[in-house]
Amino acid sequence: MSAHAEENPLLEGLDLGRRPESCALVIFGASGDLTQRKLMPALYSLAIRGLLPEHFVVIGAARTPGTDDEFRAKMREAIEKYARDPFREDVWERLASGMRYAALDFSDETSENSLVRILSTVDAEYGTQGNRVFYFAVPPNAIATLVSELAARRAAEGWVRLIIEKPFGNDLASARSLNELIADRFSEREVYRIDHYLGKETVQNMLALRFANGIFEPIWNRQFVDHVQITVAESIGIEGRGSFYEHTGAIRDIFQNLLLQLVAITAMEPPSDFTADSVRNEKVKVLRSLQTPDPTSVVRGQYGRGFVEGIEVPGYREEDGVDPASMTDTYVAAKLYVDNWRWADTPFYVRMGKRLGRRETTVAIQFKRAPHPPFAEATSDSLRPNVLLIHVQPDEGMSLAIGAKVPGQGMSIRTVHMDFLYGSAFREGLPEAYERLILDAMLGDATLFTRSDEIEEQWALVDAITSAWERDRTAFPNYAAGTWGPPSADELLHRDGRSWRRH
Amino acid sequence: MKTLLHHETWTGTDVTIRDIERELQRLRSSSAASGSMHLRTSVLTHIAWVPREWRDAAEETLQGLAERHPSRTLILTPEPTGATGIDAELALRSFAAGQHAVYSEVISLTLRGATSLAPASIALPLLISDLPVFLRWRGRPDFGGRQWRQLVGVADRVVIDTSEWDELRPNELCREFEKTALSDIAWARTVEWRRVLAGTWPEIRDQEIRLAGPPAEAELLRGWLVARLERGVRAVAPAAEISVTLDGVPVTAPTMFAVTSSDRLSAELDRFARDPIYEAAVRATA
Repeated sequence: MSAHAEENPLLEGLDLGRRPESCALVIFGASGDLTQRKLMPALYSLAIRGLLPEHFVVIGAARTPGTDDEFRAKMREAIEKYARDPFREDVWERLASGMRYAALDFSDETSENSLVRILSTVDAEYGTQGNRVFYFAVPPNAIATLVSELAARRAAEGWVRLIIEKPFGNDLASARSLNELIADRFSEREVYRIDHYLGKETVQNMLALRFANGIFEPIWNRQFVDHVQITVAESIGIEGRGSFYEHTGAIRDIFQNLLLQLVAITAMEPPSDFTADSVRNEKVKVLRSLQTPDPTSVVRGQYGRGFVEGIEVPGYREEDGVDPASMTDTYVAAKLYVDNWRWADTPFYVRMGKRLGRRETTVAIQFKRAPHPPFAEATSDSLRPNVLLIHVQPDEGMSLAIGAKVPGQGMSIRTVHMDFLYGSAFREGLPEAYERLILDAMLGDATLFTRSDEIEEQWALVDAITSAWERDRTAFPNYAAGTWGPPSADELLHRDGRSWRRH
Repeated sequence: MKTLLHHETWTGTDVTIRDIERELQRLRSSSAASGSMHLRTSVLTHIAWVPREWRDAAEETLQGLAERHPSRTLILTPEPTGATGIDAELALRSFAAGQHAVYSEVISLTLRGATSLAPASIALPLLISDLPVFLRWRGRPDFGGRQWRQLVGVADRVVIDTSEWDELRPNELCREFEKTALSDIAWARTVEWRRVLAGTWPEIRDQEIRLAGPPAEAELLRGWLVARLERGVRAVAPAAEISVTLDGVPVTAPTMFAVTSSDRLSAELDRFARDPIYEAAVRATA
């Protein structure tokens, strides 16, 4: 019996679910696309499932002038348009009753005073007890001022949690500087650096697959795994974010965070428990073990004009807000090595890019071939190596490629896939990643968020790669939109006698 | 309700288990060939013991259930007075679930004559290997009867609804606790009230508690309070809805989201272990 249940015998055995303490959620950047497409639909989904705190208030903060009613109307429209659940008036009414709007200038140090006044009012009216979640859906340059001002106006009662969207910094120096600024004012336990991909069920299921099944872990190492391939492919372009993308490129947008996190989750040792620190300690060990790839092990690319899903699309340099002579990467492929006992000499081939053949995020574990197939009729082509393929998106699930006998005379072997799809095995629809992550932050569970040391290790690797690029002028564009990247990415694997997975 | 993407059926009279297996295989092949079902993923076998008078209610619940749990459901309807034999109706259904489909097989069998006395021998060969088996028993079981004993013997968990009975029968229920893990849907219906009452601690410890409500639910709630608070609680007054007063002051009823019988049953199919709090509540009502 827990200590809580000892006090109250009526609580024993009663599943109270994961319901956070009463709090106010302040969204900085509330007029932005992220709030409407992701955050508000996620809050609505939590509300419909009774997972929001008993006393809960959402305060939208943005530069745009507006009123509470205008904010509510906009959020209602967003929920009707983007939520995964049907719209329910009773759920909306409950959520909307605690919505407020604050027009703020994020660069003005005094504008937070009006926010503090609203928060004090809602504490008194709604019983939110001084508990605050601040969601920074704002550009990186607005974060420092906000963090300083919030720290200066911190309430005497209640807890504070800061959810900070990626990108966290632009290089190691800026990330370290932001970490230091935050660490001077808030403890690491109060900081939640978010990458929504880590909230996806399939990413979490990788941990379940590895550590809840006795059959995989014994073969999850250099003895049995030939290599690992991680693909984060997008068919979309930069979607009007030209000026942002010019400063980030694929390596800062995806490689620095999501891709290295997928490498860490794939390669990490089993944590002793599933607490935030245990999981993150293991991930950071992997990041520290990553060998800096030499320039010949990294390929960068930029898309040119081409066809995606039958439609002709412009090249990167033709996009709005992009320098016509831009040298920004929209594609990166690399061969990485994790220098530890488990993975020594096992390559992790990773690639990510914009305007590729299709949208796909996968982790493929390719096992070594059977040492001596005794079947005379089996050709080397028909006896392909076993591959465990984890689909992060779309079609969340996994499949295992195995060799099976073709029915009939003789011993002909064909590769077949045993598939597990989330949507076909569980009655619950997959929650959106933001639902899980916002709820976790409200509950104070940082397991799926990135810690400061992880961020710095990731940036250190990226800085090492990009410093080599300054001396190298690749001829861009070097791949057509709708293809699978530059030919040099294929050569990266062909040199090792391997090839990218077929799609 | 999710969209039914695909539905194929087969019916037969005086069939054997082999006929059923063959026809299921044929339906699967035909569905796969038509491109309707590419994948069969199951998480459990669900046996429903449904006497004729419960058939309509069971159908409605199962309609809602099939779209949530990719499973094989065996509906067994006993007809002890008929000529010995089995009549079967097979249905393969797939429901849209996001980009995918949830797939269910429903095998409805009418067990006529002597076959109605040996339901486990019919269910056993049709269970999906290595997956948990849930038995939903409609109506009041004959606890000492051979059908109950047989089917409890092949199930990992038995789901009942004591509100379907004329009275709670705690002594008989308590004897079953040692034989199988039991879920009671009437108990599940009280969960919101239990949360509310847990929120009244510690005042409730010494207050006079008065309960009214449907017999099964209200009696289980009373048993829970007796067991947890370790003191007596007045007998319940019959009423259509549960209500509670503490020292004469009505407790605000919990917000009850619309939960269908399919939802309740579905939730019970996610539980595997015995529920010691429920068992103590039943014992306290004895």
